[in-house]
Amino acid sequence: MLTTDKKLEKTVAPEVDFSNAREMRRYLEEPKAMYVNAPGKHGYLRLGFELDARGKSILRDLDRRVPLIVQQELYFDEAWPQLPCVYILSSGGPNVDGDRYQQDITVKKDAFAWVSTGVATKLAVMRYNYSGLVQNIVAEENAYLEFMPEPVIPCRHSRFISDTRLCVDKTATVFYSEIFMPGRKYHKEGELFEYDILSVCSHGERPDGQQLFREKFVIDPRLNPPRALGVMGTFDVFANVLVMTPPDKADTIYEKTPAYLDRDNRLAAGITRLPNDAGLLFKALGMEPGPVKKLVREFCSTVRQTVKGIPVPPEFPWR
Amino acid sequence: MEIPQIMHLLQFTDSTFPVGTFSFSNGLETASFEGIVKDASTLEEFTRSQARQAAFSDGVAAIHTHRAMLRHDYEAVKHIDSYLMIFKMNAEARLMLQRMGKKLAELAVRLFDSEIISEWLRDIKEGKTPGSYPVAQGLVFAAAGISERDLFCSHQYGVTNMVLSAALRCVKVSHYDTQIILSRLAGETESLYEEAAAMDLEEMNAFFPQLDILASLHEKGNMRMFMN
Repeated sequence: MLTTDKKLEKTVAPEVDFSNAREMRRYLEEPKAMYVNAPGKHGYLRLGFELDARGKSILRDLDRRVPLIVQQELYFDEAWPQLPCVYILSSGGPNVDGDRYQQDITVKKDAFAWVSTGVATKLAVMRYNYSGLVQNIVAEENAYLEFMPEPVIPCRHSRFISDTRLCVDKTATVFYSEIFMPGRKYHKEGELFEYDILSVCSHGERPDGQQLFREKFVIDPRLNPPRALGVMGTFDVFANVLVMTPPDKADTIYEKTPAYLDRDNRLAAGITRLPNDAGLLFKALGMEPGPVKKLVREFCSTVRQTVKGIPVPPEFPWR
Repeated sequence: MEIPQIMHLLQFTDSTFPVGTFSFSNGLETASFEGIVKDASTLEEFTRSQARQAAFSDGVAAIHTHRAMLRHDYEAVKHIDSYLMIFKMNAEARLMLQRMGKKLAELAVRLFDSEIISEWLRDIKEGKTPGSYPVAQGLVFAAAGISERDLFCSHQYGVTNMVLSAALRCVKVSHYDTQIILSRLAGETESLYEEAAAMDLEEMNAFFPQLDILASLHEKGNMRMFMN
């Protein structure tokens, strides 16, 4: 149920255009089932968090198109009961051939929010086209956002491209994480790196347009085996976390976060500083999603404690 | 290629060319300490990943700089320089590229009478441009009349040779092993060039999380045989 003070302005779902992406040009055939941009295959989500008159951080602005669903914010974080938490759901189940999505999330001045997905994002088998996602994440002065979705599971012959713009004020903090599985690891005989392509680009900028960093990775397992030493090596699960935060906060987080290689538990993690004092980049490798998710959550707790003085509570046992 | 160009190519590619390549191990020291690189075959895999990583980032930037230099487009040179730094997510790698870039620029103004190279060095010193090594290479090779293909080969040779030279000091391999690896990787350079030469600057990409974590271990660790 939506509360009455929500501003529900319906906008036309923007076109999600990846026509410049050379790596996807092999996958432009119109799907034989529902066409690209058909209703239900062109999802849009707009979330706007801000402080209300009493200073409570709320989801003021919400617009959505199927299959993306957000119902309302919940306040279930035991360590930070004032934190509005939102789960993004998809009524369609997995991303299918020819899906296009856009997600725009704005956290206004002094507001704060936590956004995740209800379940892992499964990329279904694709035969003709690909699935594309555009994200615009905006954090105004002193805003704070934790974006911590469940892992992406790219099934055999799936193709996925994303472009994420993080426009963050120099006083704001955005924690943006992504976890990639190698496929359906325990499906039948196991499915490891059998997808066609993952192309993931995240770029950070200031509100005045100054470009701060740009990370792009293209994984095409048939051209470049992910098992190579230096790429994934013997690891299966990969987490990438961008933290845009002011330099003094970044220094503290950097000092508190160890880089290590744990042979017994087959986990590895590293941290470095982003260009242009934009913040930090944390990477983790592991064998199963559970321990990698735990690492990402622990790292998020370090960020939250440094910026807000509040820890992230343990994950719900059913997640 | 004419003899002066060949001589310049050899000069710039020589590991004793004073830009400081010998001081960096590109994370090999950590990989060796952690037992990830422990023999010739793991060293070959590690070096191949380093070569691929360099080809589709620094290599692309060097090629684009070479083209900009040939059309006397200094604004494009500065754009490539800052764009490469935005793309370099690893702090240690940024430091390495800037140190080597400045050294090469300081050398280049003594070797070539080039307005663009002089202006670029001035801008580096005034903090107006980062001064990265691949951009310096693009400028110098174009000034010497060496083709972009030969520049790319020299660039790739520099990366692999840097890793393999360091390997002689921290991995149990012989110079026979490293030379065989160098030859084998040289054979893979042509396809890397074809791919890199077709790429726009915006298409630079890198997916080497294990290398990134090793670099972070090196950045945060206490072992210091090589510079960081």
